[in-house]
Amino acid sequence: MDYKSKNLVAERKRRKKLGDRLLNLRALVPRITNMKKETIIEDAINYIQELQENVKFLTGKLQLLEVEPFSEEEANPKREETNTVEDMKKCGIQENVEVSYMSGNKVQIKIIFEKKRGKFTKLLEAITSRGFQLSDTSMTSSKGATLFSSFAEVTYDGTLAVEETRKSLLQIVRSMPQLCKKLDPGDCCLGGAKLGLSELNTYL
Amino acid sequence: MYEEPGCFDPNNFTAEGAGSGFPQAVQKQFEENMDLSVDELSYHHHNHQEDAAVSAMESELQKHLAFKVENCDNNTHMLQQVVDDPNQLLSYDHANWNTGDIGFNQGDPEQNGHRSFNINSLPQTPDLLNLFHLPSSSLLPNSSISFANSNHDTTSLGFIKDLPASHSTSVLYDPLFHLNLPPQSPLFSELFQSIPQGYSLPTSRGGASSLFGDERDSSGVTAYQDGDGGMLEFTRDMACIVRRSETGKKKKPFTTERQRREQWNDKFEALRNMVPSPTKSDRASIVGDAIEYIKELLRTVNEIKLLAERKRCVRERSKRHKTEDDAGEDVKNCNIWPLGDPEQSYIGSLRSSWLQRKSKDTEVDVRIIDDEVTIKLFQRKKIDCLLFVSKVLEELKLDLHHVAGGHIGDYYSFLFNTKICEGSSLYAGAIANKVIEVMDREYAAVPPTSSY
Repeated sequence: MDYKSKNLVAERKRRKKLGDRLLNLRALVPRITNMKKETIIEDAINYIQELQENVKFLTGKLQLLEVEPFSEEEANPKREETNTVEDMKKCGIQENVEVSYMSGNKVQIKIIFEKKRGKFTKLLEAITSRGFQLSDTSMTSSKGATLFSSFAEVTYDGTLAVEETRKSLLQIVRSMPQLCKKLDPGDCCLGGAKLGLSELNTYL
Repeated sequence: MYEEPGCFDPNNFTAEGAGSGFPQAVQKQFEENMDLSVDELSYHHHNHQEDAAVSAMESELQKHLAFKVENCDNNTHMLQQVVDDPNQLLSYDHANWNTGDIGFNQGDPEQNGHRSFNINSLPQTPDLLNLFHLPSSSLLPNSSISFANSNHDTTSLGFIKDLPASHSTSVLYDPLFHLNLPPQSPLFSELFQSIPQGYSLPTSRGGASSLFGDERDSSGVTAYQDGDGGMLEFTRDMACIVRRSETGKKKKPFTTERQRREQWNDKFEALRNMVPSPTKSDRASIVGDAIEYIKELLRTVNEIKLLAERKRCVRERSKRHKTEDDAGEDVKNCNIWPLGDPEQSYIGSLRSSWLQRKSKDTEVDVRIIDDEVTIKLFQRKKIDCLLFVSKVLEELKLDLHHVAGGHIGDYYSFLFNTKICEGSSLYAGAIANKVIEVMDREYAAVPPTSSY
């Protein structure tokens, strides 16, 4: 009995687990030379190296194919962008900022704005740069508009001012189309700039 | 208890064809012989008749070995004699047979006298020594055991008796021997030669001289590694080992077992280093990670092939359109059209792939179905990931449709639903890598004292 490990069953299970996994590994590797545990690992190493090189080679090829963009592909995104504003109008969605007080320092923010590439990023940038700390956020888009909703902790000189929050956010939203237009020459934010912002609701 | 030499049935050999069946039979015979055990060996020395009989059988054996060897050029098996308890040695979890040769060897020629089996002095098989080199298949055809030794009246088992006397013996064992594996030597040798660095493999047999114990005589109990990684030397413990073979409890020579463990651990380490996001470092987890990684690589390969096909097809089409515009004739372009067809099925298939990447503080899960990408992000709570990820997604030209997430315990957790822009050939790996990269960078950039 001296030779038995104290926890025989657990040890057996552990060994079995390793053995089973090695078998699974062997099943994946196409070229196996041996039935030994050691060689299966060697074979697996070789196979992984092979696959990695294969991936490298294929991505190289893919990048070569990427090199020449075609003009018609670039035309398509523009069409999509202009549709969003029209969709919004159709459904009566309007750009909006709502701020509601929760408790303590927390407010809930709801912003509706036009869905354009890069707008969300700009919004986030502006929000965080003003010191809002977002906790639970959600963003979703449909019908050409984006709804951004989040809990935020806001502090203005130690006091919470909902209305001021709202105003600053509104400012952000208003300035976004211009920001977008300047910073994304490649993308198309033409729709927003041309049409401007629709009227904003007042809240509270 | 000495079994008649008749038990070693030469008829068996004649019946056996070339190939792995032969070694098997031979091995069985050897096992039987081995069962005689060392105690009986003493009989051998004194029983010349038996010796002769055994020699006869050895010569028979050698003939057949040669026969086998001639007929199976690509046989990777080398038949050697095992010193240790045959059952033990033949088991898989024995010493590092595969990468290590346990070179069969004799001790001091002068010590062993008539009992010794001095391979060096075998006139008819001088090249056998070279044959102890391990697997390049070119060498294998010549391999054989140099038992048959009509010059010496030694027995095939006589060397065992030598063990106490000799300082070192080593045995070459072909792990594949007792398996009826089909000849695989091209792959086998190729694989051996392609074994990554760090594994010592007997790819070069310059160290063949290590097979000879005479160089090691003085070393007594030594373990040496012949640079090839597996020449194992049995020491004088061998005698007691063999003697104890009947008791069932095996004790291996300390050094070889350690070597074997070390080598095996090295392999696990190497495997672990290849995997992108290793977690636990116990063996089972390493193998598990390797399995997942192989599956992931296969998925990536398929994905990229699909993307390349699509891209190529799109190009063909647009070229075709251009030429149509220019030429204005369909006839010219008929021959181009069929090119598209074989690829149609490929294009039509849904592209799907996913992979996960983990780094110290970040975990990313990217799933792609067709052109929709779902990204899950877990980030240890320190930086405002939403902004950074959003920027990355813009860079990668992914349209963000939906985000949800927040704090969960110590972590931020986010789910991003995005769409790939038309015409972009982004693959899952690129996305995951980029996101992880950015996350780590930003995480590192934040001074450790600040906290959200």
